[in-house]
Amino acid sequence: MIEHFAEGALMAFRLDTILMIIVGLFSGMLVGALPGFTTLMAMAILLPLSFFLDPLVGIPFLLGVYKGGIFGGSIPAILVSMPGTGAAVATSIDGYKLTQKGESRKALDMALYASVIGDTFSDVFTILMIFPIALLVMQFGPPELFAVLLMSLVIIVVTSGSNPLKGLVMMLFGLWLAQIGTDPMGGVERFTFGIFDLKSGIPLLPMLMGVFALPEIVYAVMRNEKVGGFAKLVGARLSMAEFKRCIPTIRRSTFIGTAIGIVPGLGQVVAAMMGYSAAKNASSHPETFGQGEVEGVAAAEAANNAVNGPTLVPLLTLGIPGDNVTAILLGAFVAQGLRPGPQLFEEQGAIVFAILVAMVLANLMFIVIGYLSIPFFARIVTIKTGLLVPIVIMFAFAGAYVFRSDTTDILMLVGFGLFGLLARAAKFDVMPMVMGFILGGPLEYAFGQTVAMAGNSPISFMFTERLGMLAVLIATPLIGYALWRRMKTATN
Amino acid sequence: MFLKTLKKTVGTALVATLGLGTAAYAEYPEKPITLVIPLGAGGSHDLNARVITSIIPTYLNQAMIVRLSPGAGGQKGTQEVANAAADGYTLLFSHNYIDMLQQHVENLPYDPNADFVPVARVNYAPIAVVVRGDSEYNTFEDLINAAKADPGGINMAHSGNWGALFVPAAQIMKATEASFNLVPFQGGGPAMQALLSGDAEVTMGFPSTLSALLDAGKVKILATAGEERIYDDVPSFAELNIGGDVGFMHRVVLAPAGTPDDVLEKLAEAFTALQEDKTYKKMMGRLGENTDYISGGEYQAMREGQNAAYKDLVDSITK
Repeated sequence: MIEHFAEGALMAFRLDTILMIIVGLFSGMLVGALPGFTTLMAMAILLPLSFFLDPLVGIPFLLGVYKGGIFGGSIPAILVSMPGTGAAVATSIDGYKLTQKGESRKALDMALYASVIGDTFSDVFTILMIFPIALLVMQFGPPELFAVLLMSLVIIVVTSGSNPLKGLVMMLFGLWLAQIGTDPMGGVERFTFGIFDLKSGIPLLPMLMGVFALPEIVYAVMRNEKVGGFAKLVGARLSMAEFKRCIPTIRRSTFIGTAIGIVPGLGQVVAAMMGYSAAKNASSHPETFGQGEVEGVAAAEAANNAVNGPTLVPLLTLGIPGDNVTAILLGAFVAQGLRPGPQLFEEQGAIVFAILVAMVLANLMFIVIGYLSIPFFARIVTIKTGLLVPIVIMFAFAGAYVFRSDTTDILMLVGFGLFGLLARAAKFDVMPMVMGFILGGPLEYAFGQTVAMAGNSPISFMFTERLGMLAVLIATPLIGYALWRRMKTATN
Repeated sequence: MFLKTLKKTVGTALVATLGLGTAAYAEYPEKPITLVIPLGAGGSHDLNARVITSIIPTYLNQAMIVRLSPGAGGQKGTQEVANAAADGYTLLFSHNYIDMLQQHVENLPYDPNADFVPVARVNYAPIAVVVRGDSEYNTFEDLINAAKADPGGINMAHSGNWGALFVPAAQIMKATEASFNLVPFQGGGPAMQALLSGDAEVTMGFPSTLSALLDAGKVKILATAGEERIYDDVPSFAELNIGGDVGFMHRVVLAPAGTPDDVLEKLAEAFTALQEDKTYKKMMGRLGENTDYISGGEYQAMREGQNAAYKDLVDSITK
């Protein structure tokens, strides 16, 4: 094992590997920053390229695209409140507020450092602990997933804002929206009113752009300023003192993100929200969260990137892809003649460690690339309002359409935009709705699976076979209550 | 829909009056061809398509572009191609369960029999019945007997209702009169993980995805689809009296009905030539996929057989 590691580490330090990682990081960042284009699409399109490259060039290249893409997604989230994926939603809460305060550069810096740190630590942890993690992954099935998702929803509601009741209403609305479409278990159509376009459900991207970006555009226009409808300044870079202040938060979020990465099926969205909620709850000044708190950006970004390491474990140790990104990586591995699975480390140990080392290397290089490109991105918001607003509107509409090449999605975008404006006027936070919508599908699916698995004996299933699920279900109201009390005393 | 029909009608009328009918198609393909996949990124269709589209331009002298259009269990992408112009520039890369089974369980916004013609069956993947390496079931009979002794007591993980693992499972249940508790997972990967973690006792999988786990002794294979054995010591479905086109996922390229014959011919030529391409064979081999090509005409007969068989299957389960 050790000799494989040493050999692998040396193999990763190749000029062409490093060059292609840089190309991957850069192209991933650009694609991720464009609304409507996802990292996944970029990886799928670039996959054939990796077929014809050396394994130690092609696979690190794809990993670079992946990592660059995730950070890229937080750029529009921070600058124009346009999160392109669920994972960037939590980042946009405080990130966009910082932009409005004229501190977009600080927000982007923090996002970069927090994501790189979160990712690097989870990668290193994964490399060192890959076999224990593989065993741990096996402990989580649909019943546990269901319980953890339910707990996440409770935590999001109680920590969402000053009024948990409003949060609950919005979350229930989001959960209902998630029901629209074809029922994933039975194949029955729900709330589609016979409209074919609703059969595949409401798409996430138009919703995100609608409720988060469109209202901001309207407000920017209403402010009627000549320069910088979104912000006038880009502000200073992140100072050392500010970074130091965020270290405990980054540490906490990295831990949360890594833990969530181990549970199959939870992913970046949950990690980012949990990291954010935990930071807000642990803070001595939770009222600053949501008002442009740089710690909020750190909490979300460290957590959603820390998911990356452990999600690779089932792929590497069993050859089982847990999501679409790992499925594409599996394709890349297999096309190179590498067979991820139990024997991968014995047969190809050096090369696998080389790839893992390349991952860490990619993170380090990303600091440089990010640091150099942030000033350029940060300036975008200071473009003349008369130019910037139409550009942002164009990207919002084009992004909503490109995602599925479906004109219905443009109607959805406008509809959710109006809804976002109304919710804002009525002082309802849309965040719990979006989270309810994103997690509603997996929650329902996991519940259906649990019921199917329990069969005819649900009681004994829960009390004898699934004590983990039972424990989480019992703990949920207690944790919810404790968090609610804390938030109440802290905000008063 | 109306606009579409209008466009088609006007288009046809124009072409006919100007006498360009054949001339317009003479240089097919004169622009890139879009290959719509009604499934998500990263799946086996996506990977297969990436290989096909990176090599077939050699034989078509035009690019072929993959467009993923997942949604509504494959209906979204399928409908797009059904509504597309029948000019050979929009093709569908689908499989037999979306193509022929769904019509029996849902109201589709298209008619798969009338709206499509097969261009080629690119390859197929035979299903295998899989249990854990330490499972108490050592043969297919063990498993079936246990399922008969405890109907619905054995969890079978599959990748979604009426999908590529569900249908063979249902067909096996129908043929053997055994009953499993079918638990859905979001894809073949999560279903396999459920098997390994003990959440299910049996699942289905394609040999291309199984080899690493099999060599490590993590799984045992009890049966494989088809007439011939795939593994020397594992019986085929035919030997176990599960006959017919059961447990094959056929990856097929379909064109909208009404596509001109010379266009279909051009496409058929390209797909035939593709089968002989060394790089194509090598790539597919690495993915663990075969290159067992069947022409569109031959596959049409198989489609009709599938249609009848799936209707029977659905009737027997839902009634």
